Amino acid sequence: MSSHAPNGAIDYKTLVQDDRIHASLYTDPQVFDDEMERIFRRGWVFVGHASEITGPGDFVTRRVGTEPVIMVRGKDGGVGVLVNRCMHRGTMVCPADRGSARAFTCPYHGWTYDISGELLGVPYPGGYAAFDKSAHGLTRAPRVSSYRGFVFASLSAEGISLAEHLGSATRLIDRSCDLSPAGEIELTAGWVKHRCPANWKTLPENDSDGYHLGFVHRALFSTVRSQYQRVVGDEKTIKAVVRDWGNGHIEIDWSPGYQGPFEWLGGVSGSTVADFVAALERRDGAEVTRRRIFEGPAHALIFPNLFLGETNIAIVEPVSVEECVHWHTPMFLKGVPEFRSRLLRMAEAGMGPASFLMPEDLTVASRNQLGLHARTAPWLELGRGLNRERVDAEGRTVSHVTDETTNRALWRHYRAVMTEA
Amino acid sequence: MVSEAEYRAVVEFLYREARLADEARYAEWLALWTDDAVYWVPATTDPAADPDKHLSHIYDNRGRLETRIKLVQTGHRYSQEPASPMRRLISNIEVAPADNGELVAESNFALAELAIQAKRELHWWVGRATHRLRRVGSELKLCRKTVVLVNAAEPLPNLSFLI
Repeated sequence: MSSHAPNGAIDYKTLVQDDRIHASLYTDPQVFDDEMERIFRRGWVFVGHASEITGPGDFVTRRVGTEPVIMVRGKDGGVGVLVNRCMHRGTMVCPADRGSARAFTCPYHGWTYDISGELLGVPYPGGYAAFDKSAHGLTRAPRVSSYRGFVFASLSAEGISLAEHLGSATRLIDRSCDLSPAGEIELTAGWVKHRCPANWKTLPENDSDGYHLGFVHRALFSTVRSQYQRVVGDEKTIKAVVRDWGNGHIEIDWSPGYQGPFEWLGGVSGSTVADFVAALERRDGAEVTRRRIFEGPAHALIFPNLFLGETNIAIVEPVSVEECVHWHTPMFLKGVPEFRSRLLRMAEAGMGPASFLMPEDLTVASRNQLGLHARTAPWLELGRGLNRERVDAEGRTVSHVTDETTNRALWRHYRAVMTEA
Repeated sequence: MVSEAEYRAVVEFLYREARLADEARYAEWLALWTDDAVYWVPATTDPAADPDKHLSHIYDNRGRLETRIKLVQTGHRYSQEPASPMRRLISNIEVAPADNGELVAESNFALAELAIQAKRELHWWVGRATHRLRRVGSELKLCRKTVVLVNAAEPLPNLSFLI
């Protein structure tokens, strides 16, 4: 089967079907190029968190798709996203991961920009008859918007708003942020980056796949207790669910399987959490607090690249059709410093190249990538759970945690984005 | 300064530790450690890195170190099943006395790892290791090992073997 129309365009309606998808979506460089344009340029992409850049001039460098950007705190306190590329000859102006700057100076010919991207000066201006500095500032992401400190950018001037993109999935972000008595999370521990020799889509798919845990992570489950224990075992006794929030935002909700508060935090109790619980109760009252400490933070993908990984925040960074990077950092709760070392150690156990979970996921992702080159068997099955998924009172499709409801929701949205006018 | 004999004992310890790690001899490797073990692989080359404030690749106490070993011993730690064939070279070894009669050895290493579990790529791991060693009876034991990779802050492939 050819996936390319006579004009060279890829027929995503054929490749993405309701219960199966075609392997070329993971291996075709043209698909990757289309995704960078349609998902990562036109759409909303998570860039970073406001807590990473607290003072004027503070910056971090990231990629929006494959485009290098600088997320910087302006003099006015606002957050800007600048394309990290000198307007003279294209040199990356800022090579650092993070820092604080008063200006960005290109090393090539000394063009200097202020932290809002405006061109301050060009050495030897006598070489230009007339030079309009205002027309040569660093390119700014046309749209930058944030929700509860999570900064998103779109490299397109037009399109739906961030609020429309997030829809009701803001409640997933709320679920995590509201665990802080101050209502804010802080990402100040630094990021670990895990290189994955597989297509970027394998990571959001795997992060929201509740079917693989007992198999891929068998070593861990047979060695130590964890909050995931209740999703392995007899199919009928597993209570956790998967949920489709629309627009490609998808969730695994472990909490129906929890038997007590703080299972998501390793089952802490007593004096460790007394002040924390009291602070939440002062703000929310006893009943809401009881629910919050029972349910814990969200385990959800905010399409396309932000993963709310319970007590971690993660980013999926595409590199090429065959490679991506999974970033993660612990989600510190503002006002709860006593959880920090626990959250650090949980982050190291759960995610990253030396952790007890992700190396297995990435090994399987890498084997996926190898297997998907077998074109004599080109289809991937995504039909699991079609027989039992249901729509809840709020219109969200919900099913058994091992069902592919989340995968189908991701791909349905993908097909819409990849085929819209 | 340490004596010739002490220096030699430390070098032999480093070589033995390296060989046990390279050959996935997990139980013997674990037996090199004291009960107050700290095994740290920071996620940055910044000397100001603080494991109580910053995320690390590894920051194991004895309990977590034992878990790390148990995982690979299950036979289902698929990122190390089978174990990566690997060999490391150790060089530039400097040994200095430390408090409580302990010894600190700093060394450079280069480790070639064949990630045989999927794509069969050869990965080079390069960095500086600091071993803090304590005499226990007639033996040297490892109480703290810090490994600073030159690319600690870059995207790293799986690191579920013993670095």
